[in-house]
Amino acid sequence: MIILALEIIVLVKQVPDSQEVVIDPVTMNLNRSLTRNVTNRADENALEAALQIKDKVDAHVTVISMGPPQAETTMIECLARGADRAILASDRFFGGADTYPTGLTLAATIKTFGKFDIIFAGEETSDSSTGHVGPGVAEFLDIDQITYASKVDFKDGYITAERELEDGTEVVRVPTPVLITVLLNSNVPRRQTLRRKIDAMKQGFESWDHEKVGLQPEWVGVRGSPTIVRKMRPIKERERAAKKVDLAGIPDLVKELYQKGAIKLESE
Amino acid sequence: MAGIKFAAPASDPNEYKNVFVFLETREDQLMRPALEMIGVGKRMAEKVNEKLVCILLGGDIKDQAKEAVSYGCDIVLGAESPILSTYRTLPYSHIIADFVREEKPNIFLIPATRNGRDLASRIAVSCQAGVTADCTELDIEQDTRILSANRPTYGESMLAEILCKRHRPQMATARPGIFPVPEKIKSHKGEIRIKEVTVDKSMLRKEVLEFRKKEVVDLTAAKVVVSGGMGLGKPQGFSLIGDLATELDGVVGATRPAVDMGWITRDHQVGQTGQTVRPRLYLAVGISGKIQHIMGMKNSETIVSINTDPNAEITKYSDYVITEDLYKAVPVLLDEIRKLKRSPPTPVQETGSAPAQ
Ligand SMILES: Cc1cc2nc3c(=O)[nH]c(=O)nc-3n(C[C@H](O)[C@H](O)[C@H](O)COP(=O)(O)OP(=O)(O)OC[C@H]3O[C@@H](n4cnc5c(N)ncnc54)[C@H](O)[C@@H]3O)c2cc1C
Ligand SMILES: Nc1ncnc2c1ncn2[C@@H]1O[C@H](COP(=O)(O)O)[C@@H](O)[C@H]1O
Repeated sequence: MIILALEIIVLVKQVPDSQEVVIDPVTMNLNRSLTRNVTNRADENALEAALQIKDKVDAHVTVISMGPPQAETTMIECLARGADRAILASDRFFGGADTYPTGLTLAATIKTFGKFDIIFAGEETSDSSTGHVGPGVAEFLDIDQITYASKVDFKDGYITAERELEDGTEVVRVPTPVLITVLLNSNVPRRQTLRRKIDAMKQGFESWDHEKVGLQPEWVGVRGSPTIVRKMRPIKERERAAKKVDLAGIPDLVKELYQKGAIKLESE
Repeated sequence: MAGIKFAAPASDPNEYKNVFVFLETREDQLMRPALEMIGVGKRMAEKVNEKLVCILLGGDIKDQAKEAVSYGCDIVLGAESPILSTYRTLPYSHIIADFVREEKPNIFLIPATRNGRDLASRIAVSCQAGVTADCTELDIEQDTRILSANRPTYGESMLAEILCKRHRPQMATARPGIFPVPEKIKSHKGEIRIKEVTVDKSMLRKEVLEFRKKEVVDLTAAKVVVSGGMGLGKPQGFSLIGDLATELDGVVGATRPAVDMGWITRDHQVGQTGQTVRPRLYLAVGISGKIQHIMGMKNSETIVSINTDPNAEITKYSDYVITEDLYKAVPVLLDEIRKLKRSPPTPVQETGSAPAQ
């Protein structure tokens, strides 16, 4: 009997660096030319979770992303961290997608890729923060899912994982195939080595368009999106006084808070 | 049911009626976000003279269905089976997607909790619907019955209004802690339709081996929250935060890195990926005020921050700023609060100064 290597797919997205997002004051849109792009941090944890399985068993790790050509840096970075193959679904028709066509395009890319046992994604992206794309892909592919996983273990065809919920930790066990979304900071992503970086650049990534993944232009991107953004407005915060208080001023502060009713003496 | 299919618009959007909400439960008990969904859903249903329909799944949900009615639900659509008392993606998403296909809701709201998000996009894909994630404002346009789904974006600096014009249902997940829990209406009448279901084995391959319940601090209902961040420098810092919280009859909050460091458990986390709080008094101790934290506490009535850095971002969100080492400032604060308690000032102008709750 031939035992085939485990096929692991990791969904990664390049996002604007959340530390330095610049909004154009006129269009209220992201000023992309002034914003640096990085790999979504939770997706680095997703890749690490995949590589940790590959450390233990015979496995292939393929990263898949949908995005513009500049996502190349993310693709190379993932290879340099230890992925075996990188595929970027990239096509002018894919632009402006909401979660539905994003999931559709990624699922179609995975189907075109062929066999898969485990799909990893991040818990959410820092730019759209929906957490909807992973489960959407699982629905398109009709497979089970484990979301918000902190610990992931693979053994004998089963994934055992801990899910962090608001009120506790759920331990689940699912046979593959399964899609898993991984919590931000749930592991420490390994570094890229210089050696692997050079290899990664030599190896390069593949770019697939809508024809290659078998989708029609009107199914994807902005045309394939059920939702549209009607308008954007700045969130106006209440102005706060930021009244300065030093150590000597704390007694007066406490009195003031009491008088305002912010501090009460009886429990409610 | 699944398969690679594009999102086909509804052939006749007018066929789709009523506001549906999903009631999230744990061990068959309604969770607070479920009640929040009833509140916001009811308001929209009334605005267009439609019904509020609640979807409830579980092992034994008859009492919970009545409870939902008392909060304002007009119709409860229930599915009962012993195996449904624990949430699992596949049985839940299949049963609910079937409800949606049969009943054709115009709007369908799901809480943006972890299990809510686990579920929402599966249903959206399965039903070829549009879904807007993590909304903080929801409204319905009276004449068109279009859902106005508003969500913060670009690191909470902007609010995006998102519409779904041609696809049905119009789905949204709603951020927990934002929408108020409605009052109970004793006299409210509703219709309860619970069916017993059998779930196909193929959907039960995921086993839930255990659930380690955490002692949950419900930060969302707290009147006073004292939160600590990385400025504490060490896990022991949280005992100081705890003392202050106890003295103020409040609860302890934390930033995400403090949680990630293991200084305190995740259920104390305030912010984008933690809880959203709006207490009477919020004390931010050793917290820089990054936007992901701010979005979880900015609606607090009074905000006091303690930070050695006068230029920390938290300053502009604070009513009072104590620019001191927290290990000096917090003991003084504790002292002063204790003094105040020992000899409260005589209430001179107590009337009229009561704060809004
Ligand atoms: C997708 C995503 C989601 C996130 N979700 C959340 C979330 O839900 N909640 C959250 O909190 N964060 C969240 N974060 C993290 C967030 O971006 C910040 O990193 C975090 O809020 C910073 O925490 P902090 O203020 O404790 O630490 P720091 O930013 O390190 O700030 C520490 C502060 O303490 C001050 N300080 C140091 N020593 C002292 C002293 N002795 N006395 C007084 N002050 C002192 C410093 O001046 C500094 O301002 C998220 C990030 C991402 C990317
Ligand atoms: N364009 C994309 N390409 C590849 N993966 C994506 C893309 N968008 C989202 N994902 C994956 O889905 C996860 C959740 O994203 P989101 O639903 O946008 O919060 C991310 O962490 C990624 O793993």
